[in-house]
Amino acid sequence: MKKILSIVLALTFLLSFAACAKDAEKEIPVIGISQYGEHSSLDNCRDGFLQGLKKAGLEEGKDFTVDYQNANFDDATATQIGQNFSSKNYALMCAIATPSATACFAAAEDKDIPVVFTAITDPVAAKLDKGNITGTSDKLPVEAQLQLIRALQPDAKTIGIIYTTSEPNSVSAIAEYKEKAGSFGFTIEAIGITAQAEAVQAADKLIAQKVDCLSNLTDNNVVGVISAILEKTDAAGIPIYGSEIEQVKKGCVASAGIDYIKLGIQTGEMAAKILKGEAKASDIPYETISEYETYVNNDQLKKFNITLPADIQDKAIDALAAE
Amino acid sequence: MNEVIELIVATLIQGFIYALMSYGVYITYKILDFPDLTVDGCFPLGAAVTAVLITNGVNPFLTIPISIVVGALAGLCTGIIHVKFKVRDLLAGIITMTALFSINLQIAGSNLSIGRDMDTIFTAAPTMAIFGGFSLLYRKLVVSLILVIVFKIIIDLYFKSKSGILLRAVGDNATLVTSMAKDKGTVKILGLVIANALVALSGCIVAQEQRSFSSTMGTGQVVFALATVIIGVTIFKRMSFVKGTTCALVGSVIYKACIQLAITIGLPANLLKFVTAVLFLVILIIGNRGKEGGAARA
Repeated sequence: MKKILSIVLALTFLLSFAACAKDAEKEIPVIGISQYGEHSSLDNCRDGFLQGLKKAGLEEGKDFTVDYQNANFDDATATQIGQNFSSKNYALMCAIATPSATACFAAAEDKDIPVVFTAITDPVAAKLDKGNITGTSDKLPVEAQLQLIRALQPDAKTIGIIYTTSEPNSVSAIAEYKEKAGSFGFTIEAIGITAQAEAVQAADKLIAQKVDCLSNLTDNNVVGVISAILEKTDAAGIPIYGSEIEQVKKGCVASAGIDYIKLGIQTGEMAAKILKGEAKASDIPYETISEYETYVNNDQLKKFNITLPADIQDKAIDALAAE
Repeated sequence: MNEVIELIVATLIQGFIYALMSYGVYITYKILDFPDLTVDGCFPLGAAVTAVLITNGVNPFLTIPISIVVGALAGLCTGIIHVKFKVRDLLAGIITMTALFSINLQIAGSNLSIGRDMDTIFTAAPTMAIFGGFSLLYRKLVVSLILVIVFKIIIDLYFKSKSGILLRAVGDNATLVTSMAKDKGTVKILGLVIANALVALSGCIVAQEQRSFSSTMGTGQVVFALATVIIGVTIFKRMSFVKGTTCALVGSVIYKACIQLAITIGLPANLLKFVTAVLFLVILIIGNRGKEGGAARA
């Protein structure tokens, strides 16, 4: 019995001690950052978020301190991180990616802690659009992408897209593509797959259908085998448009993509408004990113004999030269 | 001080609702000696069914029996695959778990959130009528405590019944069951049915507590549940009067406390799992010490 008591007491003491240790610095508001896991896009969001706060005139260590946690891609851990922040009554929670945002928002259900999220594709479907919550969405810039394809291939008629039927982000992106393609004079040939192994087969089918180009979503199954798909499309003379810079580096001709650092900065500026008391999270509607970058792969463009129109040439970022 | 109490209460809530799953894994792993991987698919199954029902306006209390039934069906599948088709225990669980991943996607899509305008068992009228004076956090504590105790009592009583005693015999001494003219296969299936019903129940409550289902929420749950059972059993090793369900319950709370502690200590975020692992090791070492010769037996 003694043994059990000692374990329970030790855990309680440690918890209290660790919690109180942070208590001393209470006068400065604390921002709890809950990130689902570490990968380059999400890390960029966090960097950007801190830059955004700085840009808005808030200084770390003086105007706020940061408690950064990541859930190592585990939903149950994300839950406990949210509860940790909520118990400590932090001034604001910043949640990066949907599972973390859901967890933080649930933990703050009966509290008045504002939650600011980023890197969420569809805040409405995730029910994160109402309440003391706001943030930025990383929804694909479908319209900008269609515009880019039209500018680079003025004669193109059909765009082929491969997508995973179980990824909600992909399904909603396909719907948007189909809805908007008509106004740019395109038709969409979409092939749904259920596993990564089917992606290359789907590419074969699109090549056989003689589509004018392929466009990618942020679909993990497709992006995972993009090199194998590129090999086939390059041989068939069909260019692929990527959804972010990494795909362009691998051989997609161009992409209208999100700069996650900029997305983070936009989020940080929203958080700064809330911290300064200029606005309430519940009154700020969530935002989608206001500007997109155009990334190009000059080697691939040359291979397909595509010349960049002057206006795109000016703003385009050479993906191969980017760090 | 207030925040420390809140932190402890929040940790207890997590420990309690996940303990329902530990009960189930205690039955398969400790009693039946069956490493049941169905858990990773069955836990989100309960959550998926619950999220769909609640978003469609079904009474949240009804989701509890429904989750129990769907979980039982999942256990039945694993049981039949193993006993009737003679597939190895690990593989039988893997087959059901894999199939459930697709089934969960079919039921709820890859993510489904329960909006705040929808009531859960923590906010529905009957709960508010009794515990309306409490804040949400304490309401969650009371409701999850009631659930975890009610199901503990039911399981403990069941173990004393004739069927329950047979179940315990199958893991220890299968020959005895056969000599009593009982089919040990049927008993095994029954054990899997009960265990997975509890696992899905846990998923049901977690979905309501978190107001969301995600297709990835089941990943690693079987490892979690096994760890809780082993921690609990190790700590109470020298106290034979302590029931298995108590071990599972205490193990679950300790596990969640370790994670919360690792978060609170505030080491670099990527070390979280490492810190958790060290805490487990320390607890298991303390649990294994004690009277002389204790370590040798561990």
